[in-house]
Order: sequence, then C-alpha cells, then structure tokens
Amino acid sequence: MSERLLEVTDLRTTFRTVTGAVPAVGGVSFDLHGNETLGIVGESGSGKTVLARTIMGLQPRTNVEVTGSVLLNGHQVVGASERTMRTMWATEVAMVFQDPMTSLNPVMRIGRQIDETLRVRLGMDRHAARARAIELLTMVGIPSAQSRYRAYPTELSGGMRQRVVIATALACSPKLIIADEPTTGLDVTIQAQILNLLDSLKEQLSMSVILITHDLGVVATRATRIIVMYAGQIVEMGDTRDVFFHHRMPYTRALLDSSPKVTNAPHTRLAVIPGRPPNLSTPQPGCAFAPRCAYATERCHVEAPTLVDASAPGHRFACWNPLPETSDREAR
Amino acid sequence: MLRYVLRRLVMLVGIVFIISVGSFYLIHLLPGDPATVILGTGASPANRAILYKQLGLNKPIIEQYFVWIGNVLHGNLGTSFISQTSVASTIRAAYPIDLELIFLSQVLAFAAAIPLAMRSARKPNGLLDRLLSAGSFTLLSIPPFIVIVLLVLIVSIKLGIANTGPSSFVSFASNWRVNLTSLALPSITLATASFVLYFRVLRSDMIATLQEEFITMARSKGLSQRRIMWRHAFRPSSVALLGTAGVNIGGLLAGGFVVQYLLGIPGLGYTLISAIASSDYLLVQGIVLVVSVGVVLINFFFDFLTSLVDPRISRE
Repeated sequence: MSERLLEVTDLRTTFRTVTGAVPAVGGVSFDLHGNETLGIVGESGSGKTVLARTIMGLQPRTNVEVTGSVLLNGHQVVGASERTMRTMWATEVAMVFQDPMTSLNPVMRIGRQIDETLRVRLGMDRHAARARAIELLTMVGIPSAQSRYRAYPTELSGGMRQRVVIATALACSPKLIIADEPTTGLDVTIQAQILNLLDSLKEQLSMSVILITHDLGVVATRATRIIVMYAGQIVEMGDTRDVFFHHRMPYTRALLDSSPKVTNAPHTRLAVIPGRPPNLSTPQPGCAFAPRCAYATERCHVEAPTLVDASAPGHRFACWNPLPETSDREAR
Repeated sequence: MLRYVLRRLVMLVGIVFIISVGSFYLIHLLPGDPATVILGTGASPANRAILYKQLGLNKPIIEQYFVWIGNVLHGNLGTSFISQTSVASTIRAAYPIDLELIFLSQVLAFAAAIPLAMRSARKPNGLLDRLLSAGSFTLLSIPPFIVIVLLVLIVSIKLGIANTGPSSFVSFASNWRVNLTSLALPSITLATASFVLYFRVLRSDMIATLQEEFITMARSKGLSQRRIMWRHAFRPSSVALLGTAGVNIGGLLAGGFVVQYLLGIPGLGYTLISAIASSDYLLVQGIVLVVSVGVVLINFFFDFLTSLVDPRISRE
C-alpha cells in the first residue's frame, strides 16, 4: 500500500433545519491509500451521499455545519473556501454523479462540457482541449467520439451519458474519484459495463476510487475495503473479504441477507430488514440499529457502541452483541 | 432544425391567412352596408359607386376577399375616404416609430433585468434579492399611464426637458438627438413594465436552475462562479424569458397606444386611436392587419430563438 491519499477524522456534517439539527454524518473516520477502491455501503438515508459531498467540499455552505478533518493529499477540505476547493476539484478529486440524466447540462454539447474543464483548469487551448476531449470520450468507450463530441446529452442513452460524466471526471487526471451510486440510474445490463469501465480506468490511470452504493454486490469484487454505514455512522469496516465472510455487526448481516442471490430457489421471499432507518432529527440514545436488530439487548438501547477491532487487521465493528467469530461465514 | 423551422413557417402562413380573413371581415361585421360604414350616411352616390368598385362590393363575399387580399399582397390597402391618403403610406410613415420605441424599451429592460436577476438569484432572499423583489412589485403595481404621467411631470415639466408632441416629432434619421429625446420617456415607461416581467421570470428560473445537479457538477469541475452563472445556468434559464419576451413585445406592438396617445407620438398606436375616433375604417383595417401580422412574426422569431437556446425544443 502506498501512502495515505485521504484521511478523514471524526467528520460530522450537521444540517440545521427548522425542526432542529440533523446529524447526517456523525463522526466518521477512515483512511484511503493510493490506487485503492473503497466501497461505502448503506441504505438510503444512511449518509453516504452527504459523506461523499462533504469529502468533496461540495456541501452547500448555508445551514450546514461541518466539523472534523478531511485531509486530501495533505490539503484540509473542512472549512476550505470555494476558491480553495476550486484548485482541488477536477485535479485532485473528481466526482461521478449519480444520475447522468440530470448531471449533464442539457443545453451544452457534451464535448464542450469536457473541454471547458481542460481549458479552465489546465489552460489548454481550444484545439488541444478538443483533441484531448475526443481522446477521453474514446477512452470511456464512446463509439465515433469525433462526431459524438458535438452531441447534446439528450441525444445519448443513459449509459453513454454516464460514460460522458466519467470522462469529465477523468479530464484533469484526479488522484481520487468519488463515484456516488454511479449505476443507480442505469439499466442492469449497463451497470456492469460502467462499473468495469471505472475499474479498468482506475488501474490504467492509477487513481483511487470511492465507490458508494446501496448494493453490496456492486462492491464485492471491486473494492479492496468496505465501509458499512448506518444512520450517519460507520458500523463496520474492513477488507472486503472480512466484511463479506467474517462480518460481526448484525446490520451487515441483514444487508447481505437482503440482497437477492442467484442461488436462491425460485419464489423465495427476499429477507427484509424490518422497520425503517431512524429519523436523525430526533436522536435516540444507544445503537441506532437497535430498534430493528434481532440481537438487541437492553444495553443496546441505552449505550451506543463504538468501533472496536476484530481479529483481522483493519477490521472494525460497532456492536455490543456481535455475531460470533467464525472461520469463513457462508458466502452470501 | 431546418425541419422545425419549415414546420413553423407552414403554421405561420396558416395563421396569417386566418388573420387576413379576420381583418377583411372586420368591415362586414359592422352593422349596415359596408359602403355606409366606411363613408358615413351622408355619402354621395358617386362616392359610393367608387367605393363599390374599389372594394368589389357587388361581388360575392369570397370573391371580394380574393380581390382584397390580391391588393394587400401588392401593398395596396386602399385609400382612406377620410384623409384621402393611401392607407399603406400612412402605415409606412408610422410603423418605424413603433419599432424604434419597442427596440429602445427592450434594450433598456433587458440591460437592467438580466444582470439584476442573475445577481438576485445567487442569494435568494438575500438583501439585494429582497430589495429588488419589493421594488419590482412596486413597479408592477403602477400602471404605465401613471408612470408616464409621473415621468412627464418630473422630467418634462419640472426639469424642462424632453418635450413632445405629434407635430414636433422627428425621425431618427433627420435629427437623432431630438428623436431620442422625445422617445426617452415613453421608452422608459414601456421598459419598466417589461423589466419587472423579465426580472421576475429570469430570477425564478435561475433559482431553479441553480439547484440542478448539473450546476453542482459544474462546480465540481472547478469552474469560476461567473462561468457557472453565465455559461451553465443562464442559457437553460432563458427559455421562459424568451417566450415571455415574445408575448410581451407582441403586446407592446398591439397595445403600446396608451403611451403613444398620451405623449402624442405618431406611431401605429396613435394612428389607430385617431382612425377609430374619425371612423376611418379602412385605416383601422390596415393597421389591425399589419399589427397582427407583426405580432405573429415577432412570436415566430422568438420561438426560433428559443429553439436555438434549447436544442431539445427543435428535436423532441
């Protein structure tokens, strides 16, 4: 492993709303090394997207409070001005947005949208930028890039648009790409294509990738490490193998159980996690998952567990009643 | 794009046809014999005979239309029996004033509305936004005929500049200083109403656009605020603005007569009011036709502009 590219320490993002403070991200710490893929997994509303945008420094500045520290390649992101962030965006860190239907400007040719990053950020002239943009479009697998350069987003399919979004993110060779549910808006058949593309580009350009998803299947073969989030907090983290086969936190288990598997008999009911994620604006004492947890005891409802080390290095979990440690849990 | 324009052109021809039928029928809609309507009850039989011949009034009405539209297409809108001058030449003398007035007022309105709306939208409910919204509401609630009277009171009478009147009016070509001086107040008056409209439309669309994901993406590319505002947000936000401008300018062409009449500016609006007052129906008919076609053309032009701004419109 190479040196640390990203160091997140006790990061908290709190929204100030009319009904009170909502801690969307409540004290998250992790590291990311060079040329690594980190998967962040959680249900809707677990704070994944807010975490991603906070790391990017893209969170709106009004009515949002961010504390803690995000060191990106040695630069502090928390509290940095938009002006400072502008020097890091695109060149240090770039984002692949969730929905390619809304993340591209509908009235701008796609070539221009890639071009302008190159021209504004790298000072390329018109011709060089154009040539590079066509090169990028080719690299992300857009056929006849030369003519597609002049297309408007509406003239492309969802998968093609997401490729354009990826090409835009790659334009200034960032060291870190944050992909926030990059395939949620796409057909299943296209999902694998896009994820494989991200994977191969990561190798090719030796970047790091943070892959955010609600689908454990997406990160299973692609991430080197996985963070499981619940209610704005990390509940389990570790090497992908450990999280899949030696998970200790019941939530991770429930999440794995609730994803459909090819080996399931036909018409089997899919396991669901009862209840809903907690409302973060009314904080409860204890473990946030306790109300939905089959293993919850009295203690879980009053005292919040903190992350503790499991046996494998880097594998940590937050639970008072962890699942027993086993050798290879059944692959799920 | 070409197909889109051609399709719109076909529609345009259809609309102009309907307008022409309407304007033609105007004379026949009035109670009584058209000759009496046009010439008045005291007309001499000789004059009635001339009119019958000129308008082909003894032929079937469909044939009358074709005679009339043939003349119109040759630029002949008939000769007014009231002023004994050709309707076409009266209109030719008047319409450049309308165009100039609209042009000046729109330049003023856009020049003020666009930058202020952009600035306002950057911080919705900020101090500037609140001030401008309150100010535009105030302007909105004052009708143009009050604005012009106030302006005349303050600028012309108190300060003694910008005096106007139909007899003292000169064209831009013959003396641009005097021309602009006399058009300053009506331009400002028409501009205030347009400004409020454009400011409000663009402001709310800009606020909506700035919430869009592609704006966040543009930020994440490290582009400057200025670039994001003008290159990314302005264009998609200006579709409704152009539509509004088309309708508004059409409305100014058709309804700018209040200001023209109050200040005695001899444009089409002024001429129309005078023609109605003197029962000069041929002139009324001619102006209605020209103004209607003008409104249609203006809307066609703005539709075209809109399709340039938003490529999705012409592609569907």
